[in-house]
Amino acid sequence: MIQWILFFSLILLTFSILVTIYRLVKGPTAPDRVQALDALGINLIAGVAVFSVYLRSTAFFEVILLIGILSFIGTIAFARFVERGVVIERKQSD
Amino acid sequence: MALQVLINLFIGFLWMFFQDNWSVLSFFSGYLIGLFVLFVLRRFTSTKYYLFTLQAVVQLFSIFIYELFASSILVIWKIIQPKINIRPGIFSLETSLQGDIEITLLALLITLTPGSVVMEISPDNKVFYIHAMDIPELSDSVLRSKTRFEEAIKKVTRP
Amino acid sequence: MSGSSLIELSIAVIILLGTILGFLSSIGFIRLPDVYNRAHALAKSSTLSVLFVLLGTFLFFLFLEGYFSIKIFLGIFFVFLTSPVSTHVICRSAYHSKVELAKESIQDDLQEAMEEYTRKQQHNKNTEEASII
Repeated sequence: MIQWILFFSLILLTFSILVTIYRLVKGPTAPDRVQALDALGINLIAGVAVFSVYLRSTAFFEVILLIGILSFIGTIAFARFVERGVVIERKQSD
Repeated sequence: MALQVLINLFIGFLWMFFQDNWSVLSFFSGYLIGLFVLFVLRRFTSTKYYLFTLQAVVQLFSIFIYELFASSILVIWKIIQPKINIRPGIFSLETSLQGDIEITLLALLITLTPGSVVMEISPDNKVFYIHAMDIPELSDSVLRSKTRFEEAIKKVTRP
Repeated sequence: MSGSSLIELSIAVIILLGTILGFLSSIGFIRLPDVYNRAHALAKSSTLSVLFVLLGTFLFFLFLEGYFSIKIFLGIFFVFLTSPVSTHVICRSAYHSKVELAKESIQDDLQEAMEEYTRKQQHNKNTEEASII
């Protein structure tokens, strides 16, 4: 019973990841794609959590933290790139 | 506040040493006695009694959770309508808060209120520019919740 | 039905609720018209869904395995703190790179403010150059 509920929620998560991939491929502008990547990261976190309940294993908890941190840093870097054209600004020495 | 916590920890350790009983339980009872001592002496410390600040933090956090629930229910309700009728736009909102922490907290809270995302803050930290999903319906409620948030934040940060 | 299986069932229902919320908000990714409106779906509903799922996982391992996982707790805290920030940054970069608002929009206060700001900056630059010369 519980296994079936978890399986069903994994299917739902797969569908929502497919939807965000559609937005990632089609999205008319660059910020759309950055946003879709962020949503993809959040859905992946949920997927890993459901999977670790499904397997009753605590081995994947580091993966949750890592995906969270990496997707946040990636979003910030991409957003700066879209806004200014560079990720790390250097002081202009003239 | 940090000084008060330090004094409280010190009283806890002192109590544990006086008992000559190195256990978590005696440290905890010492900590409780320290809380009581600080409560009695609260008129003579420079800042507010820190449990009151802690209570304000808990209150702010519960507002946070409540707004998160209400706003996601509203957004999902808008999404699952058969025909989406929204009138989005950007409006400006003035704030009376000062300082980095207060501005950041208010921006975080407004981002989680129903149908509003903070887009830009003016260079002098006075005006927020907020994107709302449905302006005629929402700008009043954002204004109302803003005053509530400002009071809750001031309780935490101002002494 | 024994107690532990009842707890298990309720935790599974919490996780299912979270994934349903995530699915609905990702439908919003298709249906809403522009970046700024999709940010609402990202900031609120996706965050709430992942919070539900992580809370369900935390309770599952707390009650059924007796394992208090501080990592999941940190994950909840982190997602809660970073998701509004990343939404704000995406919206800001979209506005600065001149992505247009959807055609249903009825108000835009930021545009005037930005124009005034750039005009002031240009003015400052001009006066600086004049003073150097």
